[in-house]
Amino acid sequence: MAVYKKTYRPYEGALTGPLARLWVIPRYAFEDLHRSRFLNTFFIASYIYPLICALIIYVQHNASALGLLGVRGADRLIAINVVFFMSLLGWQSMLALFLASFIGPGLVSPDLANNALSLYLARPFSRVEYVLGKMSVLLILMSLMTWVPGMLLFLLQGYLEGWSWMPDHARFAAGIFFGAWVWILILALLALALSAWVKWKPAAGGLMFGVFFVAAGFGAVVNGVERTSWGHLFNISYLVGSVWLRLFEGAEHSTNGAVFFRVPEGEELPLWCCWLALAALCGVCLYMLARKIRGAEVVR
Amino acid sequence: MRLELKKTFLSKRGWWIYFLALGPVAITVLHWLVEARLGRGAGNRHSIGEDSIIFAGMFLFYYLRAGIFFGAMGIFSNLFRAEMLEKTLHYYFLTPLRRELLVAGKYLAGLIVAVVLFGSSVVLAFLTIGRHFGASWTDYLLHGPGLHQLGAYFLVTVLACVGYGAVFLLSGLLFKNPMIPAAVVWVWENLNPFLPSLLKKISVIFYLKSLCPVEVPIPPPFNVMVVDADPTPFWVATPGLLAISLILLVYAAATARTTEISYSD
Repeated sequence: MAVYKKTYRPYEGALTGPLARLWVIPRYAFEDLHRSRFLNTFFIASYIYPLICALIIYVQHNASALGLLGVRGADRLIAINVVFFMSLLGWQSMLALFLASFIGPGLVSPDLANNALSLYLARPFSRVEYVLGKMSVLLILMSLMTWVPGMLLFLLQGYLEGWSWMPDHARFAAGIFFGAWVWILILALLALALSAWVKWKPAAGGLMFGVFFVAAGFGAVVNGVERTSWGHLFNISYLVGSVWLRLFEGAEHSTNGAVFFRVPEGEELPLWCCWLALAALCGVCLYMLARKIRGAEVVR
Repeated sequence: MRLELKKTFLSKRGWWIYFLALGPVAITVLHWLVEARLGRGAGNRHSIGEDSIIFAGMFLFYYLRAGIFFGAMGIFSNLFRAEMLEKTLHYYFLTPLRRELLVAGKYLAGLIVAVVLFGSSVVLAFLTIGRHFGASWTDYLLHGPGLHQLGAYFLVTVLACVGYGAVFLLSGLLFKNPMIPAAVVWVWENLNPFLPSLLKKISVIFYLKSLCPVEVPIPPPFNVMVVDADPTPFWVATPGLLAISLILLVYAAATARTTEISYSD
């Protein structure tokens, strides 16, 4: 064939299904992550707390185990109540933050730094699919760390306590599931947005912590100087804690939130403000992603 | 120095450092305006002493533990690391300039930027936090302990920039990922109040806290976990911090002397 006839011809073969295409990014990402010894160790270590919780539930429902340990009244020592499940979620969510700041920065920034985005988008793969594919890596891993063990513990408690316990405490299950998803979505969006804007991976990871801790410090300064509690709007863990409190306990609450996600007594903000602030944060992250995830960059 | 100052001051990477420095000033200016407006009718809702304690808390918990720490991390760890990322470090290494001078020049440029940003932020925040008291605030500044406090806060800010600057310049040179040592230092510095008195002394924040003019009460339930240690006198804390920073800088200069750059790694 003459060279001049070798022009562009689109691919005419069969395409894989959209779901299979979406799975390509997480598949390769998981392969990469699997090679990291630190990550594997961290991920396995993150199950220590749920295992301890499972042990507590088991021991509480096993009279012979209690007798063996020589413990009387252990069921009153650690009650399986809202604090128990919120503490589990709070602790696992903090570990999820570490995981997100370790994995998140490496998801998008290498593609942008090496101008590889056009290679993805030249294929039958949209920007949304690209973002969803990258995000699914974080969503799956963080789900396995937060609501999955939480729900398993809920089921274990229901099984040992008697099935009637579950409908009576369905709010706990809803709180674990939806509360974890609120946190997971915020973390995933923030990690991807920072990864897209900060090309240096360590800096993006550091900035992720900075957003949480410096913003919380800034909120505390606002509260201190202005003698108000509106500064908590800068504190992401406070906002998420408020949402969790409502999910777990409804309008009347007996606790002040989970570990790391506390809502100080007397400093409560209207719930809609917390939702609005979280939505604004997600909106900013989506805008940042939309600005950066483009097939071609216009350089002025 | 001129080149470095231009780069560090107008760095696109460092926009967030301006936010860190100017945030508290915006809050204290807002406080001044709001209180001045409210104060006209009903009188001040609090005293100068309360504002002084609030500023001390803001200085300790925001400036020292977050603002200056993360700001210094951003400025100083980027001095060499940014050149490596942009693949421009070899230009410096090829110039007829001693490596020690290069380290000193970069450090001084970073220090000037950090002191200008955070020093002016501290001074402005202090001057505006009580501005709504009017003449009594001026009297507090000129004839009371105000000016002494302002001087002490400025000195602590400069020392914090010097100390953290040296730590992060060295970590930027030694580590491919300076965030890991930064995270370790940050956790250590924040655990300081709860450490035994001997371990307390192996940190920058302990000496800086000793120089702060107003003590901040720690709220419950954390107050029960705090371990008290005698504050270090001025004549030990200041030269001690400067000496440690100098040692770190000398080590950084020695490291830079043998540094080779390969961008492919």
